[in-house]
Amino acid sequence: MKFASSKGLSAVVAVAALALTACSSGSGGSNSPAGAVDGAGKTLNVLVASNAAYPEQQKTWMTDIAGKFKEQTGAEVKFETFANANEELTRIQTSVVSGQGPDVYGLGTTFTPTAYSTKAFVTLGDGEWEKVGGKDRFNPAALGISGPDEDHQVGIPFVSRPFVMAYNKELLAAAGIDKPATTWDGLVEQAKKTTNASAGTYGLAVAYKDNFDPWKFIWAMSVQAGNPLVDGDTAKLDDPATKKAYETYFGWLTKEKVVSPDSVGWTNSQALAEFAAGKAAFFPMTSSGSVPTLNKSAVADKYDYALMPVAAPGETKPQDGKEVASILSGDNLVVADYSENKDLAYEYIKLITSKEEQLNYQKIFGDLPANAEALKELSSDPKLDAITVAAEKSQATPFTGAWGDFQLGLMNVVVQSVPELAGGSVPDSALAQRLKEGQDKVQSSLDRAAKG
Amino acid sequence: MSTSTAIRRDTATFRPGSRRQHEVTRLLPTPLLVIVIGVLAAIVLVPMLYIFLASINTDISVARGDFWPAEVTFENYTKIWTSVGLANGLMNSVLVAGSTAVVSAAVSVSTAYVLVRYQFRGRLTILRGLLALQSIPGTLMLLPVFVLFSSAATYLGVRVIGTQWGLFLTYLTFALPFSTWVMVTYLRGLPRELEEAARIDGASNLGVLFRIILPLSWPGIVVSGIFAFLLGWNDVLFASVMTRPESQTAAVALQVFGSSAEGGAIPFYGQMMASALVCAAPVVILYLIFQRYLVGGLTAGGVK
Amino acid sequence: MPINSREESLLEGGSVTVTPPRPAEPVTPTVENDEPGGTKGGQRRRRMSSEKNRPLWMLIPGGTLMVIIVVLPMLLGIYMATLNLDQYSLRRWVSAPFIGAENFVEALTGTPLIRAIWLSVSYSLVAMIITLPLGIAAAVATQNSFKGRGIVRSVFLIPYVLPAFVVATVWRTMFQPGGIIDNALQGIGIESGLWLNGPNSYWTLIIVQIWASWPFIYLLALSGLQAVDHEVHEASAIDGALWWNKLRYVVFPYLKGPLSLAFLIGMLHHINNFTLPFVLFGLPAPSDVEVLPLLTYVTSFQSFRFGLSAAMAFVSLVLVAIPLFVYLRAVKLDDAETPGVRK
Repeated sequence: MKFASSKGLSAVVAVAALALTACSSGSGGSNSPAGAVDGAGKTLNVLVASNAAYPEQQKTWMTDIAGKFKEQTGAEVKFETFANANEELTRIQTSVVSGQGPDVYGLGTTFTPTAYSTKAFVTLGDGEWEKVGGKDRFNPAALGISGPDEDHQVGIPFVSRPFVMAYNKELLAAAGIDKPATTWDGLVEQAKKTTNASAGTYGLAVAYKDNFDPWKFIWAMSVQAGNPLVDGDTAKLDDPATKKAYETYFGWLTKEKVVSPDSVGWTNSQALAEFAAGKAAFFPMTSSGSVPTLNKSAVADKYDYALMPVAAPGETKPQDGKEVASILSGDNLVVADYSENKDLAYEYIKLITSKEEQLNYQKIFGDLPANAEALKELSSDPKLDAITVAAEKSQATPFTGAWGDFQLGLMNVVVQSVPELAGGSVPDSALAQRLKEGQDKVQSSLDRAAKG
Repeated sequence: MSTSTAIRRDTATFRPGSRRQHEVTRLLPTPLLVIVIGVLAAIVLVPMLYIFLASINTDISVARGDFWPAEVTFENYTKIWTSVGLANGLMNSVLVAGSTAVVSAAVSVSTAYVLVRYQFRGRLTILRGLLALQSIPGTLMLLPVFVLFSSAATYLGVRVIGTQWGLFLTYLTFALPFSTWVMVTYLRGLPRELEEAARIDGASNLGVLFRIILPLSWPGIVVSGIFAFLLGWNDVLFASVMTRPESQTAAVALQVFGSSAEGGAIPFYGQMMASALVCAAPVVILYLIFQRYLVGGLTAGGVK
Repeated sequence: MPINSREESLLEGGSVTVTPPRPAEPVTPTVENDEPGGTKGGQRRRRMSSEKNRPLWMLIPGGTLMVIIVVLPMLLGIYMATLNLDQYSLRRWVSAPFIGAENFVEALTGTPLIRAIWLSVSYSLVAMIITLPLGIAAAVATQNSFKGRGIVRSVFLIPYVLPAFVVATVWRTMFQPGGIIDNALQGIGIESGLWLNGPNSYWTLIIVQIWASWPFIYLLALSGLQAVDHEVHEASAIDGALWWNKLRYVVFPYLKGPLSLAFLIGMLHHINNFTLPFVLFGLPAPSDVEVLPLLTYVTSFQSFRFGLSAAMAFVSLVLVAIPLFVYLRAVKLDDAETPGVRK
């Protein structure tokens, strides 16, 4: 076999040797008097999402953190990345099944309930929280999706990526609007004023064919109307509030005509591109992630972020006075139960959730800190105003292992309605039928979750 | 050996590309040939042109669905080497896919030789079984294969996951059924007489395989090698779970561009297209080199 | 395969030193059998070597790999299909509750599996039927040497070499509303409607699949063409056969073997193709293109029903394999006793 290049072979030997050392040295490390963990000769494996917008900066950041970690503990950090949810899930699935893989995972917040339900990750007790720097170092809102309740948390908040609405100051000014609306109804009115179909300019840039965007709109509007979709063991997709949310969302295209007819085929990227080209006044349901694109675009000095509407469609003020401006979104860190380097893992988490590192991370990547002090320091920054407020006013999706099916069910209603949407109207009966089908599916999934 | 010298002598008489051969073997009238090639080339090249134009366009312009670049920039072709570590990925891909191609071609030639030329109980079952194995979906196999490899580490102390070996073994195995079948259909086409002559001359089984079968089978070997190569080259499913950054293949490295973060920035379409072209280039060049072996097995090999 | 006797005699006459191959030799049904050793076919030809001298050991390397990396994991996969394996039991999958055939029953009755299989098989078939002539035409057109043939041959390979997700991304961009395909069609007065949602999406999938996979047929057809003996060319040249007749009666019979194989493998590739529909349409897929891989993927990775998903994959494997074997018999691809005969 020609394959036996010495490089490949030596890599195998080296890795095997490494694995042996890791095994023989046993789990954990002895705490040195200074409190730092002695990790000399050990390697901590960390799996994180690859940052598609800042690949080079991410590499630099990794090298930087690995250096600091080595200085503190003597241990190496080896980063592995996944490119998309698809890869993320296969990696987790295979690691959970085989009981080997990364020690620390960076997960999207909505995936935390599923990770929790596998019981393959460490549920953090007081001792563990202490090792990562104490629970009170984190923004309390960000802990909202760490576990089903305060005593059963697996996810340690790393960054927040709250959803906001980008708007084009120039287009708003031209239409005589001084500030973005805080209700969905108000937003539609402003969108109508800024729409000029003959010039190809529309009030809203919405991506009806995105794989993620639509469910967030429905969820947000539904929550604002008092229906968080899960009530104990009961799914509530068939609730009138949810139907109303769909009607509003579709209505922007069919009734109000404030979005481009092409948007039935858009993903988030195309909607963003449309806004970036100055062809839309508002781009709702975006995050600080859109900064790099917008700063390079035609609207670079004309755009700003605002909170998304907080009053449900048809309402003039938030229900019960509680403003829900965003879905709680961002990244959580979880530690694998099978890990033989748990103390090192906590040490690593402590490092990257420290105030300085969190501020540094924000500077490079734009994601908001989960560290409370760091967040506070940023709230004085006018450019980040809307985003930090959104982080405080965000609500977590229900903590159930069945949440994946909810997202799927919500999305499916939109996907199957798109042909009718393009045709000009989604029939009431078809929408009701799809909602009923979705309801049945998520209910059975919820039933299994209750048993599991 | 008289047979092989006979082959060599005969080869000289009918060289591929010789004038006489050309006229005799002509398959299509020239106008039709031009039309067929023109149409097919257009089918391939129009989307390719789009890919190229997108690779020198701005990402926003691509996202808006523009065909012609708003402004031309070639910086994507330099960025890809640092942003995703394409060089490392390409090297791993060439290493893994290349060795898969070579080994799978070698194994499939000998397997197919036995399956075509010898009668034994269960032969037909093997032939059919090979095809049945082809129909197993990768998604069904992924988890069990991973479990298998990871238990190799647990129980045997052999680390497979994360090394190029795991990928190589997986691709080799998945490539074998099809490669073998390609060789089976090809070897069936070879006349037995040469082998018989060689055997009369006292050649062993291996001797026949190396001196008769192998020289005559290049087109089949090249084709089955190409398929095995491409299987490893294009796979993402297995590579994404079985590699680590240092053993990552190009296909996995490229995935980064395909992912648009939720509510995030526009993906690097330009870099995606540029790196797709860069990744396609080595394969196309390899094919350019190897395609001369595709020319007339029997004609060029000169059985007659 | 029917053949006119004129050509057969021509072929016979064309051979000088070696018994000519008979590409069109009629194959009698009795020839096909599982144990060719003692049958007509076997008796008709001399045995190559004695039974003692069979180098069966050559099967060992491939066989070992197959058993370890395909057969064992597949058995494991089938076992997983009988477990109630989901995110709640994944970690201790060995002790996940055994539920026997329940997953299989649910796959067949409680999921759109049958419809997904139908969609997968039908789209694969349509794509294949269009792909075949394209691939053959490309192979035939590049068979004879001309200036730049190497380049043309390599260009034809490109779609097969590009990563599937790039192909899908490119076509998705081109097919989007207001994209270049819509614009081009509007230019000639056609309002096409949506390509990536609704009934058209089925055809979108077929079009992109054809674009991505015709080089596969082309490659196999090309290798098949190389087996055409020179004297066959000579014979038909002497005969003055028209190019079409020459192709049809002389050349195509040589392609039957490689193309039957290409058809089979191509179908399987299409049926198992996940990336193309996934990137083109996203998840959840429009119901018109909810093909098999998307369905099993959703079941596995959105609903985390790993056991059910394995059962689905296995059921579809069986359902797809049955027609495949019918096909195998029909085209006699695995016909044992026809060495020396190109099919």
